[in-house]
Amino acid sequence: MSLKIQIIIAVLVVLALVFIANLVRKEALDIKFALPWITVGAVVLLLDLFPGIMNSLVRLLGIELPVNMMFFFGFCFTLLLLFSLTVKVSRQSGQLKRLVQEVALLQEQSDRKNKACEDGFLEYKN
Amino acid sequence: MIKKKKLIIIPAYNEQGGIERTVRDILTNAPDFDYVIINDCSTDNTLKVCEKNRFHVINLPVNLGIGGSVQTGYVYAWRNGYDIAVQFDGDGQHNAKYLNAMADKLIKDGLDMVIGSRYIEKEGFQSSGIRRIGIRYFTALIRWLTGKKITDPTSGMRMAGRDVIELYAKNYPKDYPEPESVTVILKKGKKVDELPVIMNAREEGVSSISPRKSVYYMIKVSLAVLLAAVRG
Repeated sequence: MSLKIQIIIAVLVVLALVFIANLVRKEALDIKFALPWITVGAVVLLLDLFPGIMNSLVRLLGIELPVNMMFFFGFCFTLLLLFSLTVKVSRQSGQLKRLVQEVALLQEQSDRKNKACEDGFLEYKN
Repeated sequence: MIKKKKLIIIPAYNEQGGIERTVRDILTNAPDFDYVIINDCSTDNTLKVCEKNRFHVINLPVNLGIGGSVQTGYVYAWRNGYDIAVQFDGDGQHNAKYLNAMADKLIKDGLDMVIGSRYIEKEGFQSSGIRRIGIRYFTALIRWLTGKKITDPTSGMRMAGRDVIELYAKNYPKDYPEPESVTVILKKGKKVDELPVIMNAREEGVSSISPRKSVYYMIKVSLAVLLAAVRG
């Protein structure tokens, strides 16, 4: 890996981390949800700054090229993240359904009371 | 005998053309029943029609689909102490004149659910050939898994007692719920039977199952039914 690409990667990762940190600071992103991404950034930065780690890892796992390892782990991470999001969406759609039902039932209750009041008032007037 | 509180749940999505007739049919032919329309965030004038006629409506602020709508009705029935709740389509497919017979059967035979079936007497609207094959397949699947023959497992005209109302209020499938929900209660040992009814061809609105979706429907519902049977 050339020094040039090392520097470019480092700059990109740092920029991404600053972007994430800024979102967290503005409370536009929960720390809980930022954490996996910060971890990824940190790991990439570490591997970028110390290429030796990657080389020994590659040798240890018997993978031909470092880039293959990056693709493999990157893909695994993406799948994991996507799946965890699917689980969350599924859970939230259930929660949302309950909320919508409760709102509708409350609305019906208050409508019914209002109507009863109106009718009572009309009866009283007549 | 103490008079039973009975509720008709009418799920309605874009039923501006059929809802008035449906409610009038109920008021004439099933006057002992209360009814509630669940307007599933219709994009047509369903809500306006209901308000104009001062129909009893629960208005969902977000579209939930058929499962979420019907379940809202069951929650309402549970909380308001109804002994019996019956699902009834808002598009004119179902006839209210059968509701009393269904309630009688439910009480007299000590059942937990009565389903209005098109396929016992084989009269009236029978659905298209290809759909009938699908329905027969679900009949066979449910029979294999539960031992009970339900001739019309996709019928949306079904009456439930208090136990089933509670079960459904807590848990109800979101989409294409009919075969799955009946399997769930059969597996819980609830008693289900059918009553022959005549249904009408749909006059208003469109089926929720387009040809394109039917493959997905078959797979999804088969899995859901299997899962319901495994859960027990």
